[in-house]
Amino acid sequence: METLETPENELVARTQAGDARAFDELIVRLSPRLYGLVYNMTSSHEDTNDLLQEIFAKAYRSIKTFQGKSAFYTWMHSIAVNMTLNFLKKRNRNRTMSLDDVDNGILNDPDFIEATSNGDPSREANLVELQKKLNESMMKLSHEHRAVVTMFDIQGMPHAEIAKILKISEGTVRSRLFYAHRQLQNHLQEFMKE
Amino acid sequence: MESDERISRLLRLKRYEQPSPEYFENFLAEFQLRQRAEVIHRPFWKIAWDRLAPIFVIPPVPRLVTVGSFAAAVIATTLTLNWSDTSSMTQKAIDKKSSIAKKSVRSGKKSGSIQYVLPEKPVTYASSRSF
Repeated sequence: METLETPENELVARTQAGDARAFDELIVRLSPRLYGLVYNMTSSHEDTNDLLQEIFAKAYRSIKTFQGKSAFYTWMHSIAVNMTLNFLKKRNRNRTMSLDDVDNGILNDPDFIEATSNGDPSREANLVELQKKLNESMMKLSHEHRAVVTMFDIQGMPHAEIAKILKISEGTVRSRLFYAHRQLQNHLQEFMKE
Repeated sequence: MESDERISRLLRLKRYEQPSPEYFENFLAEFQLRQRAEVIHRPFWKIAWDRLAPIFVIPPVPRLVTVGSFAAAVIATTLTLNWSDTSSMTQKAIDKKSSIAKKSVRSGKKSGSIQYVLPEKPVTYASSRSF
């Protein structure tokens, strides 16, 4: 296994030269973040797992076409977003999250409890309800709006990076965010009160 | 935008929706298994194509250059066609002029020099005086 200090571009170059282990290291580094991206767009762990496998397989097959004009991370995100959007178009149905999909570990996560409860027991009881409502609200957004919200609000990516990944202008990113936020506010009114 | 900030704060909670660390350990193993299975079940021509395709990759040409070269080709073709049309028309015009000239030369030879017509009566209404 590679050390974490190995630069990403070196791993990419080694993969391009045929070193499959270097690509394994890239998978280890990128999979948690890409998992979050795909999962928040599909709202299904099963679909996310399959898609993520296909995304890495496609990246591995076409890694020789990566010319290093953008960061490898941006390139991988572009593949992931495009493949997920295509998948969602094919699926073409709004899937409501079941509670089975919710990661139960999160409810015991002290950071999560601290972030949501503020010491109020009634709100703690509503954590599951909040998580369910958040996922439902996300699924009501169009695929394109959901992609922008996932990258900006959940993954904390800057507008410019999202624009590069989606090959749209920064203005379009901002306008998509604006409309998505308005829509989400309507669905999450009860949780918006301080 | 306070409401935007509140929405962002709520959405940030979704960062916690991650599978357990064991999932990611198994993910890599599953990827390697799938890769091997793909190699075994993949048709030979597909594997060969994947290996050869990057060799024949055409560097991406900016769209403007493509459109520009297409436009230049169209203009060049149009100009060439027009020029050949014009030159053939000019040639025809030259041919026509020379044939007219030849005709007139021929007719000139047939008729000889300029002739004066002397009618029997002079062209006048004045009465002729006779003494």
